[in-house]
Amino acid sequence: MTATRSITTTAATTTIRGLATTFGCSIRETMANRRGFALQISVMVVNDLVWLLFWLLFFDRFGSIRGWTLDDMVVLLAVLTMSVGTVLGLFGNARRIAVLISDGTLDAALALPVPALPYLLVRHVNVLFVGDMVYGIVLFLALGRPTPARLAVFVAVCAFSALLFGGFLVLVGCSAFAVGRSEVGDLGFNAITLFASYPVDVFAGPTKLFLYAVVPAGFVSTVPSRLVDEFDPRWALALAGLSIGVAALARHAFARGLRHYTSGAVWTAR
Amino acid sequence: MDEPAPAIETDNLQRTFTVGRRSRRRTIEAVTGISFAVRPGERLAFIGPNGAGKSTSIKMLTGILHPTGGAARVLGLVPWNDRLALTRRIGALFGQRSQLWNELPPRDGYRMLGAIHGLDTATLEANVSDLGERFAAADLFDQPVRTLSLGQRMRCELVACLLHRPAIVFLDEPTIGLDLVGKQQFRDMLVELNETLGVTVFLTSHDVADIEHVAHRAIVVNHGEIIHDDTVAAMRRSLLRTKRIEVTFDHAIDTTELGRRLARDLGTGVTMTGPGIRREPKASATSTATVEVDTGRHRIRTVLDHILVDGRVVDLTVVDPPLEQVIGEIYRRPTAGDRS
Amino acid sequence: MITVPRPVAPPEGSAVRPAALVAAFATQLRVYRRAPTALLVHSVFYLMVTAVLSGLWRVAVAATGGTMAGYDPTAIVWYITTTEAAILGVRQRLIEDEGEEIVSGRIELDLLRPAAVFPLKYAAQLGEAGPKLICSIVVGVTWARLFGGAIADAGALALAGLALVLAVLVNVAAQLAMVALSFWLHDVKSTWFLYQKLVFVLGGMLLPLEVLPATAQTVAKALPFMAMAYVPGRLAAGHVELGLLGLQALWLVVMVTAAAVGYRVGLARMVRHR
Repeated sequence: MTATRSITTTAATTTIRGLATTFGCSIRETMANRRGFALQISVMVVNDLVWLLFWLLFFDRFGSIRGWTLDDMVVLLAVLTMSVGTVLGLFGNARRIAVLISDGTLDAALALPVPALPYLLVRHVNVLFVGDMVYGIVLFLALGRPTPARLAVFVAVCAFSALLFGGFLVLVGCSAFAVGRSEVGDLGFNAITLFASYPVDVFAGPTKLFLYAVVPAGFVSTVPSRLVDEFDPRWALALAGLSIGVAALARHAFARGLRHYTSGAVWTAR
Repeated sequence: MDEPAPAIETDNLQRTFTVGRRSRRRTIEAVTGISFAVRPGERLAFIGPNGAGKSTSIKMLTGILHPTGGAARVLGLVPWNDRLALTRRIGALFGQRSQLWNELPPRDGYRMLGAIHGLDTATLEANVSDLGERFAAADLFDQPVRTLSLGQRMRCELVACLLHRPAIVFLDEPTIGLDLVGKQQFRDMLVELNETLGVTVFLTSHDVADIEHVAHRAIVVNHGEIIHDDTVAAMRRSLLRTKRIEVTFDHAIDTTELGRRLARDLGTGVTMTGPGIRREPKASATSTATVEVDTGRHRIRTVLDHILVDGRVVDLTVVDPPLEQVIGEIYRRPTAGDRS
Repeated sequence: MITVPRPVAPPEGSAVRPAALVAAFATQLRVYRRAPTALLVHSVFYLMVTAVLSGLWRVAVAATGGTMAGYDPTAIVWYITTTEAAILGVRQRLIEDEGEEIVSGRIELDLLRPAAVFPLKYAAQLGEAGPKLICSIVVGVTWARLFGGAIADAGALALAGLALVLAVLVNVAAQLAMVALSFWLHDVKSTWFLYQKLVFVLGGMLLPLEVLPATAQTVAKALPFMAMAYVPGRLAAGHVELGLLGLQALWLVVMVTAAAVGYRVGLARMVRHR
């Protein structure tokens, strides 16, 4: 009994150490070019400022729209850049799962004694989106009317939002297991980032439903940002439940796809 | 008999590169001054290790890189001055950089290249079907490039270089990454297009086998200079005389003993150079040996017979000596080369 | 005996051969015929973007009394539908991809052909953009008709179609002009992101330029980006302003010249100094 347990513990430790080391290398790899690092972060910050500018112009003209004001929008943008930045920056491969499957990179990962999905996720750090994270937190601290309570909610909802966003990307990426191409994954990525950039309350009935249920973009940005402004345990529970659910589903889809892949990866063979 | 005007002619051709930023700026001499001439219809192998200046030379000869000194003429044109005129008369294949479209079958790519070269449809069609037949590649022309194997793709790439019926083809490391069959098919194509179409072939490689299977003549470059320039027939008698036989036995043998036996039976010209005994743990002991044969003294066949007497050979390969060894050999006998 | 090959001289001619440009264009069309899902994916994405953005503006305009800077809800839907079609037709990462060709040196291969490099690149990019643009127009007109309503002035729409084509021509030329800077500067390929954002705001893709504050509006209308999105959008919204087409033509000449010269000089420099 004891022996078994100690073996399991060792295996887990090895896995975690392996992943941590990989993650460290990914970070060092991106940091290697300091000048490029700074440049890319600034490029992203400027990009985000352009969006802020758009909303400034928009609300300057309309004041508020369906209950949304510039203040609300600032929080939404902060949540969005923070969670999207975390996923695409620190787990850069999340959006490339489909590509990694269809170009055979997955094969290399499978040869390693660590779980393939976590390994792939930590294998690529994208500085560009680290700029997003920086911007998100700065934006919240500067214009998000931070109080200790709001900051705590902000951090928590960003974590769930990131989990949901990352889970969704992996989920749509797994479509490549079935079709062998990455288009569906790309479209899913584009769709959720696009829709999450807007407050879904602005839209009418069916569109709104679509954005909460089918492409859960509403839960990536709108719901979390509303929670920061006005905490509602029911919505908080829905957010937590959905994000954990989608992440679990993604994990399941990947594992299922992997079985299909190893048993019948005909299309990778020339 | 009058010598025809050379197809390629260089005189002290040089190229230096400046690398690094500001304080760390330094100059690298990629090609230190090479002079040679290639006759029309010749098959020349331009051989050297990585970084020897092969690619730099071929880029200057095709006009996509300016030299920093010296002169060159290709088909009577100065490549870097008359690049556009030259591109109509030469074909070039650079390693594995594709001129075709991944999603499309080669035939569509050929249409595009034909249009660029100003070939009319009838001429293009005729050339494509002629080349397809000649190289038994016509069945590949209608499959999307991404579905072809590397060897098949390289054959289609070579056809793409020949559509406008160039007088010379330049090939930069075309056989890299191909398997044995692919390499051989590709080499056969080069010989074929030279012999039947009269195309001059200028081939760079770091594979010694490319010299033997393709070239009439080989120029060996190292550190940007020519260290050897001779016909392949002559090289076969001198530098390429040795072949290596790599043998694996299914049991542990004493290789010194084997060497002694071969020397006793065959005399000089057969040497053991291999790693010697490699004992695997447990019962499954195998051992490998490398025997170098001077083919001027012994037929490979004879040596093989002597090795096989043992009867417990599980694997056996005959290969050319690696390029490094050939180069080492050139340096050891400076009189054999034409070093200045 | 070695037989000397008599080179079959292909017809000499200028480096810019119309047939070659047509072939470069047509080759890209063939890629779509082989992989038509790319067009489907494009159409779906275009519809999503257009639906969200035009939906947002329509709600906003309707909520504030019916018009905004001269755009009523119908006009704003047509405006956004058109500007999105103009921008999304062009390959998103054109600057990055073509910049990489230069930085990596792969562009050398293009010098091995008897043709000027820029015109072929231009034709190929247009071949990639053309079918996308046509899909966008079909999807976009349907969407704007159903969601926004009919635009009274059919002539304005016809002009908008012409302006759309010009917009793509200007945009691709301008991006290739940016790309040509890669011959001198190193990080140009990462600027696609910023270029894109300039087109979004100053080009009027996200919003009609009339929404901008007065000074910004003046600046935006003096920059080339307006020719890439704002002009066709403005026409499609029902404003027949022929001067705008003239501006597009002007920017087209400027950008094509800049890109052609950039490539020519850059390649010559590369052959000499690389």
